[in-house]
Amino acid sequence: MEGNRVRSGRLAVAPQVAILALILVALVIYPWIFKRSFPVHLMIVIFIYAGVATGWNILGGYAGQVSLGHAVYFGLGAYASTVLSTKWGITPWLGMFVGGAIAVLISLLIGYPCFKLGGRYFSIATLVLGEVMATIFLNWKWVGGAVGIFIPMVEESFLAMQFHSSKIPYYYIALVFMVVAVVINYLIDKSQFGYYLRAIKDDPVAAHSLGINLTKYKLMAMSVSAFLGAIGGTLYGNYVMYIDPTTVMYNTQSTLIMLFAAFGGMGSLFGPTLGTFVLYPMGELTRAYLGGGGRAVNLIIYGALVLVVALYQPGGLVAWLKRLTRKRG
Amino acid sequence: MALLELRDVTKRFGGLVACNQVSLEVNEGEIVGLIGPNGAGKTTLFNCITGYYRPEGGTITFGGQNITGWPPDKVSHRGLVRTFQVVRTFKEMTVLENVMIGSYCQVASTDEARQEALKVLEFTGLLGKKDALGAGLTVADKKRLELTRALATRPRLIMLDEAMAGLNQREVAEAIVMVKAIRDQGITVFLVEHVMEAIMPISDRVIVLNYGERIAEGTPAEVCADDEVIKAYLGEDYRA
Repeated sequence: MEGNRVRSGRLAVAPQVAILALILVALVIYPWIFKRSFPVHLMIVIFIYAGVATGWNILGGYAGQVSLGHAVYFGLGAYASTVLSTKWGITPWLGMFVGGAIAVLISLLIGYPCFKLGGRYFSIATLVLGEVMATIFLNWKWVGGAVGIFIPMVEESFLAMQFHSSKIPYYYIALVFMVVAVVINYLIDKSQFGYYLRAIKDDPVAAHSLGINLTKYKLMAMSVSAFLGAIGGTLYGNYVMYIDPTTVMYNTQSTLIMLFAAFGGMGSLFGPTLGTFVLYPMGELTRAYLGGGGRAVNLIIYGALVLVVALYQPGGLVAWLKRLTRKRG
Repeated sequence: MALLELRDVTKRFGGLVACNQVSLEVNEGEIVGLIGPNGAGKTTLFNCITGYYRPEGGTITFGGQNITGWPPDKVSHRGLVRTFQVVRTFKEMTVLENVMIGSYCQVASTDEARQEALKVLEFTGLLGKKDALGAGLTVADKKRLELTRALATRPRLIMLDEAMAGLNQREVAEAIVMVKAIRDQGITVFLVEHVMEAIMPISDRVIVLNYGERIAEGTPAEVCADDEVIKAYLGEDYRA
């Protein structure tokens, strides 16, 4: 029937799983092939951002609630674990979950009143939250203020999450984080929760009439999203061993997280991961070639690319790839 | 006891009284029509019943429980579900997924929700289009999809807000058959409709609103003979 766009049949399960398994194997052996520091470093940061962007996607892509302040959760994760370990010697593995819990709490406090207002107001509120939290941390002497916190080097151990002789342990920790984030997203995608989030994004009024408690499900999405952001923050902080508000809690961070997800494909399972894998290295390359003089050039390039995606393929890279494979098939 | 009972329900928008002390009853197993001129307050009344508006006065009782001021999701979990005057299909979802959102009201597992949705799709005759996207359907199919989706929540009472507006004659005839089939499944139907050819032959009872007030109630024949109704709404052509 004309005008009846039929959804492209999903690829048979077997080849999809095979491709995924291949990619995973490639990622596992990667640090044994590219042994130099930079390629490993690049991947660690990509994994962390991909995991956080995947978390952002659950709220922004699935539920359609665009958060412009996700750096807050990233920063809270980094600060919570760092403060706990530097002040009281608590392992970051525990601090990570404390950070996650704080991030969830803050997200619920901001989400509960703002979700009642509807989409755009929510986005504005998260933008304000980002500014407010960054200002608080910039002026909060107890957590280092604008100077930030250096994580003191201790003897390397898994418990302290410190590895000095090699980046490889960090590599696998970050990889596991990304995989866990994608698996969580997958489970949500296939469940009532995921269907409900898509319904809320598509038409909240209709969703409400079909028995969906809008606020409850949006808050659930926000909690998962904030939690993954915080875990990513802890990993990042422990990896670079130095945190300050401008590196872990700034709105450029929030923008990056959103751009990665939007570029790859909002509301798709692998979109944010793909987006990070493509966009992040581009930013690194411009920085490598332009040095300190090109500080914001990566953002200009990101902006241009996202503009192209928004204009020509709002579904992001994933939708573009799907269209390519459909044409061929 | 009536399945749905309204007592003196009043809804104001500033100085405008959209519904003025409306009382009515819908009994189990009935098909009840709600008619009236544009702006009579029909959709406002539907919105009050299903929780989209909170009435300023009066009580709404459903299945013996006072549901006044309940949010829409809670109302639909009790077994009262509605469709919308302006279609609200989930555009980015397939027909099957649209209906699954309704099924999830009763079952949490995705497999069960899918099975349930397929059954209801078969009942409403949309099974052949289950993989089409919501956005790509014709108006008639969108309306049918909304109906299917609402049925998937397994309601006791379904409220249809102009489910037949914008349909051609053949589609209206199909919709009439569908409404009767729904009632035969044991589901009570309460519908707002402007298409008199549709509402008159299927309704057991018709309630007429005008300027937010109930001006008449009775069998379709009685309502058609009512002077006030003819003056306010039907016009001289319908004088029985």
